[in-house]
Amino acid sequence: MATAIQSANDPMHDPITIEIIQSSLAAITDEMFATMRKTAMSSIIYEVLDFGVGMFDAEGNLASSGAGIPAFVGMLEPGVKAILRKFDGDVHEGDIFMTNMPHFGGVSHLNDVVLILPVYADGKLIAWLANKAHWPDVGGAFPGSINPEALDIYQEGLQLPEVRIIDKGQINQALLDVITTNSRVPDTTLGDFWAGIASTRAGEKRVKAIVAKYGFDTVRFAIEDYLDLGEARSRRALQELPFGTYNSTEVMDDGQKLQATITISEDEFLVDLRGNPAQNASAMNCSFDATFVDAQMIFKAIASPQTFANAGTFRPVRMLTDKGSMFDAEYPAAMSTYYEVSMLAFDLLWKALAPALKDKLPAGHYSSICGTFIGGPHPDTGVAQSIVEPQLGGWGACSDRDGLNALYTGYHGETYNCPVEVTEQRNGLMVDRLALTTKPGGEGEFIGGKGIELDYRVIEDNWWLTMAYVRSEVGPWGLDDGRQGSTNYVVVRKADGEETRYSSCTAIELNKGDVISVLTASGGGYGDPKDRPKNQVLNDVKNGYLTAEGAREIYAVEA
Amino acid sequence: MTKIRLATDVGGTFTDLVYYEVNEDGIGGHITAEKSHTTPPAFEKGVLNALEKGQINLDQTSFFAHGTTVVINALTERKGVKTALITTEGFRDILEIARGNRPDFFNLRYSKPEPFVPRYLRREVPGRMTYKGEEVTPLDLSGLAAILDDYRQDGVKAIGLCLLHSYANPAHENAVVEEINRLWPEVEVVASHAISREWREYERSNTAALCAYVQPIARDYLNRLEESLSEDDFSGSFYVMQSNGGIDTVAAAKATPITMVESGPASGVLGAAALGDLIGEHNIIALDIGGTTAKCSLIEDGRVDVTSQYMIEKNQLSAGYPIMTPVVDIVEIGNGGGSIAWVDDDRKMHVGPESAGAMPGPVAYGQGGTEPTTTDANLMLSRINPDYFVGGEIEADMDGVKTAFANLGTALDLTAQDAARGVLRIANNNMINALKLVSINRGHDPRDFTMVAFGGGGAMHAAALAKEMGVPKVVIPAGSAVFSAWGMLMSDLRRDYARTQPMAVVPENAAVIAQTFAEMEAEAVTAYRNEAIADERMRFEFYLDLRYDGQEHSVRIAVPDRNLDGAGLEAVLADFQDAYEQEYTYRLDAGANLVSFRVVAFAQIDRPELPKIAQDTGLQNSLKGTRQVDFDEDGVHIANIYDRATLGAGAHFNGPAIIEESGTTSVVFPGQSVSVDDYGNIHIMTKVEERA
Repeated sequence: MATAIQSANDPMHDPITIEIIQSSLAAITDEMFATMRKTAMSSIIYEVLDFGVGMFDAEGNLASSGAGIPAFVGMLEPGVKAILRKFDGDVHEGDIFMTNMPHFGGVSHLNDVVLILPVYADGKLIAWLANKAHWPDVGGAFPGSINPEALDIYQEGLQLPEVRIIDKGQINQALLDVITTNSRVPDTTLGDFWAGIASTRAGEKRVKAIVAKYGFDTVRFAIEDYLDLGEARSRRALQELPFGTYNSTEVMDDGQKLQATITISEDEFLVDLRGNPAQNASAMNCSFDATFVDAQMIFKAIASPQTFANAGTFRPVRMLTDKGSMFDAEYPAAMSTYYEVSMLAFDLLWKALAPALKDKLPAGHYSSICGTFIGGPHPDTGVAQSIVEPQLGGWGACSDRDGLNALYTGYHGETYNCPVEVTEQRNGLMVDRLALTTKPGGEGEFIGGKGIELDYRVIEDNWWLTMAYVRSEVGPWGLDDGRQGSTNYVVVRKADGEETRYSSCTAIELNKGDVISVLTASGGGYGDPKDRPKNQVLNDVKNGYLTAEGAREIYAVEA
Repeated sequence: MTKIRLATDVGGTFTDLVYYEVNEDGIGGHITAEKSHTTPPAFEKGVLNALEKGQINLDQTSFFAHGTTVVINALTERKGVKTALITTEGFRDILEIARGNRPDFFNLRYSKPEPFVPRYLRREVPGRMTYKGEEVTPLDLSGLAAILDDYRQDGVKAIGLCLLHSYANPAHENAVVEEINRLWPEVEVVASHAISREWREYERSNTAALCAYVQPIARDYLNRLEESLSEDDFSGSFYVMQSNGGIDTVAAAKATPITMVESGPASGVLGAAALGDLIGEHNIIALDIGGTTAKCSLIEDGRVDVTSQYMIEKNQLSAGYPIMTPVVDIVEIGNGGGSIAWVDDDRKMHVGPESAGAMPGPVAYGQGGTEPTTTDANLMLSRINPDYFVGGEIEADMDGVKTAFANLGTALDLTAQDAARGVLRIANNNMINALKLVSINRGHDPRDFTMVAFGGGGAMHAAALAKEMGVPKVVIPAGSAVFSAWGMLMSDLRRDYARTQPMAVVPENAAVIAQTFAEMEAEAVTAYRNEAIADERMRFEFYLDLRYDGQEHSVRIAVPDRNLDGAGLEAVLADFQDAYEQEYTYRLDAGANLVSFRVVAFAQIDRPELPKIAQDTGLQNSLKGTRQVDFDEDGVHIANIYDRATLGAGAHFNGPAIIEESGTTSVVFPGQSVSVDDYGNIHIMTKVEERA
């Protein structure tokens, strides 16, 4: 065991050892993340990074997270706590638990399956490790298990209440058989399952190694100190924010009105989402836990975004909702498209704060995951394919620069799109075009970043498309007289020339020669277009983003 | 007549020269090193200065290997030429769309990297291939003349070209290049398939664009250097260090200069492999600790690991830019001798990534630095001799060092001595995390490896790191401070060929796999023969990137015989299962897919045998004295101080000990033992049980 460096300040704990253990915690979750990414079967996991891993203290508080997506940082803790509640006193070394029920700790939707492993050292529980990933199909009415029109959760797939899948090292084969049998892609499901197990077990080995090296009590102290450190950073950052109450309202594509109030004070970041519409008889619902992730993300975005996040980081955050509302829907509400509802909440909170925090927040971005689910038989093999992909879109302008072109949403992070060359080989369709959009929207002194135009061409019969985008009618908001951005939607062009525009559709049929044209929004603009410098306008024209006519009409510049 | 073999390595601060003479009997002499300042942007001046300093007779020089940072400098300082990009119709924005990722993921005010080619210079041509390399729409070059006219008007100097699926069939790219050459012979054109035959269109487009961007700069540089050398009557063989851990002819380097992008770090890893070959160590963890970074890489069975997923400017805040060229797989962290130790607002100590650099440098340099660095911590603990600092060239400002650590300690209520220990513990821990990434995290047991440590700081930290990692032996090479240049002297020609051609690994495909390997080998043979390289010098290695059905990440498997039949393929599959399980802890009952073929083509270069050093005549001749050294957790001990220059072959002693030389200091912990081999390399047994 390492000898301690004595600190006069705290003779019990050597600050250097504590620092080294804490940096090891981050290394552990990084390794778990890398293992999952390398071994997962589904492109939505290894390419889109729709997964997260976490390490928790013995009480289930998030100590360190490995995530490629900020939304996944806060997504795992409720699941670990649900296991702790249910199996209190009945947890053993070698156990692994699962859950996916969004209303009871699963947070998001049934596709996101959480694997949870308790870590024992010296015969005592020292930590929990969890891995949560989007499995491509968990049954339900439609392929991909995403069903915007589902009336309740029973239509969305297999529900796994908190269950023990591995009991002291022994796999519960009966349960595993039920899980794989209920998926349309059993091999992929099994692959993703074992990838998750490999990832948590990799973490287990490392946790045990640090306890062997530094001792149980020291590691335990370091974990709790790390949580306190997260809190201290947040509280200090909180003091630098402008105290006050901030409001926003928004009209949804279907005309429903949304509202949010945020109160920033010396000791709290309070998000009030009361007074919002009741839960829907569709999948446009979000659990309290999922909405709370939005509150955490917007807080972190303005309070020390470049440092780590754990349970301590979010201690100053509190959220109020109405039970039974779309932001706090109750069982058995359907939730497969929860992410669009969660995105609405995130955007609403962003909009409330942006005018007061222009140095940290741009104008509104395209603000839809634009989850696109396409499937059908591969023309080479006849094997059923399914593409599960979010889409890129435009980001809002900032107070000092144009918005970013073609980036994933604020919900995403290290998410990568699938290369055209890989998509065509893997999925057996053609991509005719992937370009930045030049549709009007987002004009301003600084312009909104450009969304994309992406054309998939189906080259075999019996394909299908499911999608549900928000901001399909109302574009992203501008700031300080910057104009609204454009909108998100899909146009299906049938081989016979018939065109239909969709903001949402479920398993519509497509055949050889049909084209799915995905269009995503450009972000909101910042400032009056009349203030855009002439050379910038001329540059926009030169780059083909703006016509000469547009330059004259919007910017009063002759090109 | 004696002949000279030499290598020059242009680094950020210094240009290193190493050379040795070969006498009429073909016996090599001892290696000599010189240093000269690097002279950007005319880097060749620094090279010539170093040659002059070493009084090199170029007319006697038979072998000249050169490593240069000219490519990476032109990229990172944005000093390339005005570049355009031509793509398949519908895809000109690929270069700007990139992959859509945002590493700084909580930050909503992220900055996405700007493309190297603005939109108005990105143009399209109709024509389409499939992933099978079949044409679905013929290429239409009718609009090309107008595009080139626009480019001329805009002052474009180089054009990158990337068409979809050109990795599978380059016919369209070849046709575009031909037409550009016909219409505008003066402009530089880089077709993506000439650099990479692997898929992923953004990565290949960016590679073509960046290669075009630096091509004229790198070519001019190599031309200027060649001219200067021939003015001095150099008529020997001139080679350029590549990023793949080999050297190549200057003609090949000029054709695709982007392959030089990471040549500096690669040559150190190559040196470690060459040294391993010399002393019979084939499993090596190479560790290079410089002023601002530490780099490590794993060598298994003498093979340097090469990746084509190389990025520049990628970090926690930026997505960076991919370059699909073979680069030695190196993990790099911001921890070196000059890394600054600091305490954050929450009273947590950190080391790096900020470095004191060359100016002001560590506090001990007395050039105004006040923030303590890793080097200062080594001085504070008396591991470095204050009276022999930088080979005695600088008088270490020990008062400044003590004050700096006293201040650092105050923030944490630690004594100055404990603060210095803390700095080394944290710096070592950072390096351990990097070392784990290349070893344990990839399923390798460190007990099976030997650590070869070099760079100014390698010898100082290696014994502690190896002990912690469970690595049984550390080798500190002779001349470890100029080890990268030494590596080039030991190098063979190396060219990496890769081709993405997805298919199922089933017996029916054995013939097409064998055929593809044969074609790739033939391509390499032709290229070498065109440069008058004899067949008997050529050697080939064959690899397949394999993955389970449906997975993305592949495992690289060596194929011993390229003439694969059904049984051979079975054996490859079995190797894949084992390698997969080693790296990922489980295996699947699923079919396997082949993603890419890889052929590594070596051409051997004659090298005289290295001279051996004199036998040791007794340790008393090397013992400089003793001093009290702080070994942190291993206690404070009176350690023997040895002068490396006078240690002979066969010398053997135990720690605690310090071995001093002008470029670095080796630290040997209590309980560890040291022996010196016939070539003057120091072997430190780290007191770890070797695996049975």
